[in-house]
Amino acid sequence: MEIFLLNTLNGLSWGMLLFLIAVGLTTVFGVLGVLNFAHGSLFMLGAYLCMQTMQFFDSFWLGLLIGPLCAVVVGLLIEKYLLKKVYDRDVSYQLLLTFAVLLILDDAVRMIWGSGYHVVEPPEILSGIVAIAGQDYPVYRLFLILIGPVIGGLLWAFFHYTKWGKIIRAASFDNIMAEGVGINVPLIYTSVFALGTWLAAVGGALAAPQQSLIPSMGEKIIIESFIVVVVGGMGSFPGAFVGALLLGLLESFGTVFAGRMQMAIPYILLAVILLVKPNGLFRKGV
Amino acid sequence: MKRRALSVLLAVAFVAVSVLAANAATKIGFTYIMSGPFSAYGQFAKQGAELAIDEINAAGGINGQQVEGFFEDSTGKADVALRAIRKLVYQDKVDMLIGLDSSGVAKTVVPSIEQMKTPLIITHAATPDVTGSVCNKYTFRISVNIAQNIKAAALLAQETGAKKWTTVGPDYAFGHQSWEYFEKYLSKLNPEATFMAKDQVAFPPFKTTDFSAYITKVMSSKPDGVVISLWGGNLIDFIRQASSMGFFDADFEVLFTLGAATEVLTALGDKMPEGLWVGTRYWFLANDSAMNKKFAADYVKKYGAYPSYNAHGAYSAVYAYKAAVEKAGSTDKDKVAMALEGLKLEIPTGMIEFRKEDHQAITDAHWGKTAADPAYKHRILKPIKIFKGVDVTPPVAETGCSM
Repeated sequence: MEIFLLNTLNGLSWGMLLFLIAVGLTTVFGVLGVLNFAHGSLFMLGAYLCMQTMQFFDSFWLGLLIGPLCAVVVGLLIEKYLLKKVYDRDVSYQLLLTFAVLLILDDAVRMIWGSGYHVVEPPEILSGIVAIAGQDYPVYRLFLILIGPVIGGLLWAFFHYTKWGKIIRAASFDNIMAEGVGINVPLIYTSVFALGTWLAAVGGALAAPQQSLIPSMGEKIIIESFIVVVVGGMGSFPGAFVGALLLGLLESFGTVFAGRMQMAIPYILLAVILLVKPNGLFRKGV
Repeated sequence: MKRRALSVLLAVAFVAVSVLAANAATKIGFTYIMSGPFSAYGQFAKQGAELAIDEINAAGGINGQQVEGFFEDSTGKADVALRAIRKLVYQDKVDMLIGLDSSGVAKTVVPSIEQMKTPLIITHAATPDVTGSVCNKYTFRISVNIAQNIKAAALLAQETGAKKWTTVGPDYAFGHQSWEYFEKYLSKLNPEATFMAKDQVAFPPFKTTDFSAYITKVMSSKPDGVVISLWGGNLIDFIRQASSMGFFDADFEVLFTLGAATEVLTALGDKMPEGLWVGTRYWFLANDSAMNKKFAADYVKKYGAYPSYNAHGAYSAVYAYKAAVEKAGSTDKDKVAMALEGLKLEIPTGMIEFRKEDHQAITDAHWGKTAADPAYKHRILKPIKIFKGVDVTPPVAETGCSM
C-alpha cells in the first residue's frame, strides 16, 4: 500500500513535468502546424537561464520568473528570423530547420556554460521532506504535482475565457478564415510560439532542482514528450494532460512490476494507442 | 612551358617531403566521446593528453621526435568509434591509438584492432572482456577495470559485515557486470552474504532522470547493503534525489563504485553527503609521490579544475607510449606492442605493470569516505583506502584471455 502511494506520487510528479513540456509542444503544433524539434532545447535553455539568474540573485523564485522570460526572447528571435520563413513550405523544411535550431542551441549552451554537470538547489521552503505513509517524501515533488495543474488550469482558462485565447483557437481552427475576418494571424503565430517557448523553459526551470544540467538534457525529455503528444492526440490540450500522467504513472509502476521491460513501456504505449486510436486519445478523426 | 611547371612542382613537392621527413612527428590518435551527454569525459581526456604531449614536446619529444595528437569523436557509438579509429590508422597514419570511454564501444572495437596492427591503450572503458575474452596482441588497458574496482568493493563490503545486498546500476553491460562481479567476489569472501533476486535489484535505464521509483524500491526491500554503480549525471541525480528521500539516513551500508569522480563531486559540492564509501579509478590526493603532486598542480594551473580519472588515464597513456618507444628503440607498431607487454612504469597513481598475459595494468584501486575539508569546495576522501593492484587484479586464468 505504501509502495502504491509512493509510486503514484513519483509518477504524478514526473508526469506533471512531462505535461508542461508536452503542452507547449502540442499547442505550437496545433496552431502553427510546426513539429518543433527544438522544443527540448528550449526546455534545456530554461534550466540553464534559471541557474544563471540564481547565480546573480540567489533566489530560485527569481530564476523561475526571469529565466524562462529570457528564453522567450530567444524563442521570439527564432520565430521571427527563422521559422517565419518556412511556414508555407513543406513540413520537411520545418523539421530540418527546428532540428538545426536544436543543434545550434545545444552547442551554444555548451560554449557558454561548458559540457560539465551543473546543479540547481530547490528553494529553502521546498527543500524539506514530509512523512507520507511512513516514508520521507520530498516537498519539492509535491510542489511539482501541484504546479502542473495550476499552470494547466490557467492555460485552459486563457484559451476558453479570454478574447485572445478564443482568437488563437479560431486561428488554429481555420487560419485563412481568421485572416479574412481581420485577425492578425502572423502576430498570433508569434505569440503562440512565445507561449510554447515559455512553457518549455518553465518546465526546464522546474526540473532543474531535480536533475543535473547538461547541454543534452533536452534530447532525453523531448522523446517522451513526443510520445505524450502522439498518445494524447496531436494538438490536444486535455490529451497532453492525460497522456503525460499516463506515461508518468506507467513508468513509475513499471519499475516495480515490469523489471527490465520498463524501458519499453513508453514505446509499447505508443504502439498500442496508434493501433487502437490512430489519432490519439483526444483527437477527433480527420 | 608545361614541362617547366611540372618540374617546378616536382621540386617543390620534393622539398616539402624532405622537410616533412626531417621533422617527422610521432602521431598518436585519440578516440573519446567529444559530443553529446558525455562530452565532458572526452574533454577531460583531451586535456590530460594535451598536458602530457606539451610536457613531452617541451622536453625534446619521444626519441627526438615531436609528438602530434589527433583527436576523434567516438560519440559513444561503436560504429562511429570504429570509423574514427580506421580514419586515424589509415588516413592520418597514426603510430599509436589511445582512448575509448564506453565498455560497449570498446568490446566492439577491440577485435578489429588486431587487423589494423596498431597498438591501443584503453584509458577508461572498464569491461573485463577487452583484457579477457576478446583480448589481443595490440590491446592494452592502463585504467582500473570492473574486476579490480569491484574486488575492492567486495573487500570493503566484507568489512562492513552487512549480509543482505542489493544494487542500483545503469541498465547496460557495465551495471550488470558490476553486480555480477560483486556477487562473485563477496560470496567467496563472506559465504553468509546474500544477494537480492533479479526482480528486486534496480537497473534504471541510462536515460533516467527521475530515480524516485528506484529509490523507493530499494528502500522498501530493506537491504543491509547497497552497491551503486551509477556514474556521471545519473549518479548526481540519484544522490540528490536519494538524499531528499532519506536514503542515506536509512539503516544500510552504501558503496558507490564510481562516486569519487571529480566531475560528480564538483557538481554536487556540499550537497554530497559525508561519510559515504566511494570508489574511483584515480584520486588526485591518494598518492603522495612527487609525480602525482606535479601532475595535479600542473593540471589545476592549466585547466582550473582537479584532474579527473579520465584526464589521468589519457595523460598516463601518453607517457606509457613514450616508455614503450624508448624501450623498443623505435616507433614501429609491432615493436611498441611488444615493448608494452610487461612494461613497468610510474604514473601519477603509482607504479603499474602491463601484465604480459592479458595486457591489463596491475594498478591500485582507490576508495575512501566522503568528508568535508575547508580547503576544497567539494568533498574529498578521508580516510583514503588503497587496495594494492596485486590484491585486486584477478589471476590470468580467471580472465579468459588467450593470445
